[in-house]
Amino acid sequence: MSESAAPEAVVVIDDDYAMRLSCAKIVSKMGLRVEVFEDGARGLEAVAALKPGLVVVDLKMPGISGLEVVSRVHEIDPQIIMVVITGYATIDTAVEAMKSGAYDFLPKPFSPDELRLIVNRGLERRRLALESQRGEVERALLKRTFVTFVSHQLRSPLAAIHQYLDVLQRLDEAGDSPARRREWIGRCLKRTEELQSLIADWLTLARVEGGALLKERVEVDLKSTIVNILENYRAMAAAEDVALEVSLPEGETRVRGDRTCVSVLFDNLITNAIKYNRRGGKVTVSGGFCDGEIVIAVGDTGVGIPEKYRPFLFDEFFRIKDSGVKRTEGTGLGLHISKRIVSEMGGSIEVESQAGIGSTFRVRLPAWREPADDAEMGGWE
Amino acid sequence: MCAKVLLIDDDRDFRTSVKSLLESSGYQVAEADSGHAGLLKVLEYKPHVIVLDIMMESSTEGYGVTYALKYLDEYAEFRGIPVFMVSSIKESPDERFPMSAEVEMIRPDRYLTKPLDIPRFLQLLEKAVASGVATD
Repeated sequence: MSESAAPEAVVVIDDDYAMRLSCAKIVSKMGLRVEVFEDGARGLEAVAALKPGLVVVDLKMPGISGLEVVSRVHEIDPQIIMVVITGYATIDTAVEAMKSGAYDFLPKPFSPDELRLIVNRGLERRRLALESQRGEVERALLKRTFVTFVSHQLRSPLAAIHQYLDVLQRLDEAGDSPARRREWIGRCLKRTEELQSLIADWLTLARVEGGALLKERVEVDLKSTIVNILENYRAMAAAEDVALEVSLPEGETRVRGDRTCVSVLFDNLITNAIKYNRRGGKVTVSGGFCDGEIVIAVGDTGVGIPEKYRPFLFDEFFRIKDSGVKRTEGTGLGLHISKRIVSEMGGSIEVESQAGIGSTFRVRLPAWREPADDAEMGGWE
Repeated sequence: MCAKVLLIDDDRDFRTSVKSLLESSGYQVAEADSGHAGLLKVLEYKPHVIVLDIMMESSTEGYGVTYALKYLDEYAEFRGIPVFMVSSIKESPDERFPMSAEVEMIRPDRYLTKPLDIPRFLQLLEKAVASGVATD
């Protein structure tokens, strides 16, 4: 979804000098990168190297024919959109080219508008095709992870609880000790809580993925949200002997989003910072307005996150199991959810960490703008 | 004789309840919380039966144990040891790991689902111990 990525490249292959020049001019004025070649061989070489989004090729050329270029380009990458240019006498060939996979054809002579239109349509189609391909891969992956992990993550606590109760019932007949009974009931309650937080996390994830954020976008003041969350965790932090510090400027931390999701986001980061801290350590939440964004840093003084794990930190169900790293209860979904929320809001999240010193999660979110700003930009009245 | 059972499972609650169950039924029980720890324990504890969770941290961890038992020289004396494979998923292992060479090691009656059906589990265990002792 990065709109700001490098412009798509277009390759024009035509033996006619004037045609190459005018095509190049029109396409580059569209803000696209363009490369021109006078024959099929050189053109194909460039296609392989450049991986352009679209190729415009003249059907009638000396050397490798346009028709062959079409099929060879698709051998290189079937997602490259092919547009063929053809003289009136070769409409039949153009039809043949379309059959072999060209996207459309332009009969000569054509106007700059016609070329622009066809290039735009072609690139739009490519974008959609790539997006749906990505979507399919993502959905397939998600489905597979979902099946495996729902089975494992939901069933494990349930099976453990069931087994406790079942064995307890059996041992009861043989006269069980009350101490063991109490201990096991305690464990059953713990595992039930685990199941509940897993389900809650899952619902949040579904909410984020269902686009709830796009539906409800209201002004949310991060400072008051964060102060509230810290208030909720004061007791937990005290029990862990962790100090909570906040330094955020007044009135300059407003973003646009869904209240619940924004709370979940900072709730996750703050509870992590408390859980993965050391006794006598502290959690610092700081930040403010910077360049149209609100930047919030949540820092802890824990053992730090080994570099090899950082790329996976935001993955679904990723948990560090390492000696030296505190074993804490958790669903493995917290950071994944946080990342989803941040990207749905058009922001970013990154982590810095130093062994033995601590980790800092830095969230950047677009700052709230009054609706009047949108009107000025030609949005709505 | 008091048969020795080794429980290999990363869920400590599951180990706790099953251990109590087995001890109340007259077995001696040792625990390990990972495949690796389990393999070390096998050499030291020399169990008569292994109860192995096959869905620990990674889906291959449980199979790593059976692989070692079957192919590694240091485990030669345990090659015939009865291994009960336990999973919380009702799915036979050859469906999930169709290419796994270890599948042949698993006898259908030694593939169990969590939570364990206690009477059936105890019955199978008893039979397995008897057959293990018989082939010793």
